[in-house]
Amino acid sequence: MKTGISIFIAAFVALGASWCGLVLAPSLQLGGAKETVVLQSADHWPQQRTGDATLGLQVYRASGCAACHTEQIRQTGVATEVTVTGLGAHQPDDFGAFVKSLFILPTLVEYTNAIAASLQGWHGELPRTLLTSANQQVVSEMANRLKAIGVKSETRIVPQGDDIIARGWGYRQSVAADYLYDQPVQLGGLRAGPDLSNIGVRMPDANWQWQHLYAPKSVVKTSTMPSFKFLFEVRPVGHVPSPDALKLAADFAPGPGLEVVPKPEARQLAAYLLSLKANVPLYEAPFTPVTAVK
Amino acid sequence: MSDENPSCPTPSGGEPTSTRSAAPMWIIVTTLVLLFLGGYYFDQHSGWFNPKVYAPYPNAEALGAYQPMSGDAAALARGKTVYESVCGICHGADGLGKPGQAPALAASELVITKGFNRLAHIPLAGLNGPIKVCGKDWSMAMAAMGAALPDDDLAAVLTYIRGAWGNKAGPVTGDDIKKIRAEIGKAPQVMTGDMMMKLPE
Ligand code: HEC
Ligand code: HEC
Repeated sequence: MKTGISIFIAAFVALGASWCGLVLAPSLQLGGAKETVVLQSADHWPQQRTGDATLGLQVYRASGCAACHTEQIRQTGVATEVTVTGLGAHQPDDFGAFVKSLFILPTLVEYTNAIAASLQGWHGELPRTLLTSANQQVVSEMANRLKAIGVKSETRIVPQGDDIIARGWGYRQSVAADYLYDQPVQLGGLRAGPDLSNIGVRMPDANWQWQHLYAPKSVVKTSTMPSFKFLFEVRPVGHVPSPDALKLAADFAPGPGLEVVPKPEARQLAAYLLSLKANVPLYEAPFTPVTAVK
Repeated sequence: MSDENPSCPTPSGGEPTSTRSAAPMWIIVTTLVLLFLGGYYFDQHSGWFNPKVYAPYPNAEALGAYQPMSGDAAALARGKTVYESVCGICHGADGLGKPGQAPALAASELVITKGFNRLAHIPLAGLNGPIKVCGKDWSMAMAAMGAALPDDDLAAVLTYIRGAWGNKAGPVTGDDIKKIRAEIGKAPQVMTGDMMMKLPE
């Protein structure tokens, strides 16, 4: 036992150091996070959830949804787009000729093919995206040239990445602020189903959510998601049918004289799902909301 | 080697042996102090961690470049871009004018006026004939270079030239320009310096 004390001290120092590095330092750096402000507005982000939605997080957790669903949108890059929104006094043809006359500019050399392609088969429909580039200098050069001939254009920040572009799961990457009111955070690590960070925007109908939870195949034919029937009650229809009764397709309905109504857990879960939105630009994850282009 | 004769004399001092002499104390102490200071410095800067910066943005500066500007900063930045692409060709990016081409805007008594009615008339209607700028006589012509610009952009340009290069005159808004443009009407008449001076400042 002579070395016992030194083994204890070594273990204590090693564990203490990793506790400092992995727990203490991050909580000093991020633990004090507060609500932030939505870009170009006075709104705060994120919004505190309603009571039902807060309880819904616990239902989500207890049902093991995080085993198949993530709540984290990844972003691999960012690009800026120049979109023409008004031609002023110009006609599409002479505007096209003007744009081609810019191809000799050294900054645009790399982009000539892409710009030419964006003008292919174009008859003046607006808005039209002319140029997409990660290089802001190129973009502002183009915007200035358009400005100088009186053509109206808008430059938009467009986050890149498969989660955002190909899968359409969100508008921007998830950042720490998004999870401020999640206790515990349901990041998830496996994507058997789609990411749910933004499901409240994608599927804002509570009844759809209930139908999907009760019988996933009733709304998505090929769904492999298990059904969560225990969150619902099948009961005889009363004098007046319940307004919240699930609008199920005939194949999935429980039979004549019966209706399926959500239990409180299903209500809370749906409230939580509808509260999942990551659709506003923040300082740490800027983008230009689509509504800006008229 | 086993047949070595043990009675042979060995070199004085005997065989070298290894001892347990430690590294000098001062090296250990200096190393520890340096490690501590390095760690402390790294920690003070949080390892250059910034809770607002996420990949793919490499640092706060790159992220800042993607922030939409608002209010005054946006108008000033807009004004600079429009100035450099529309007016700068003649008046120079530094606002000092170009000999034989256009007079200076920096410190020009026609720019840093209290009101901006006269000033706004220059790019909207054009200016022709003798004027005096910073004590120098000019007699050239400027077409209505600003007439084609949207109200907000022209306001941004005027705000910019009234605030850049050491000029310290107040801002101009898009609504002001709209009013002045309406007064001038659809077919502006190119002003002479004298006509301009008769306008209210
Ligand atoms: C065994 C894996 C699995 C589990 C567990 C699971 N899901 Fe799913 N989920 C899927 C799959 C696969 C899909 C895609 C097919 C579909 O839309 O039904 C999906 C789709 C969804 C969708 C529709 C997403 C969209 O973009 O259309 C929602 C909402 C959803 N799940 C919610 C939940 C909730 C809430 C739970 C927990 C009660 C849960 N899921 C548990 C696999 C799962
Ligand atoms: C083609 C060259 C040219 C361009 C472009 C031009 N100007 Fe001028 N500007 C002139 C000339 C030349 C005069 C002097 C006119 C005279 O002598 O009467 C002048 C005079 C002026 C004056 C009054 C004199 C002074 O220096 O204070 C102002 C103010 C002015 N310009 C503003 C502008 C603004 C704002 C723009 C952009 C919207 C612009 N100019 C674009 C050539 C130009």
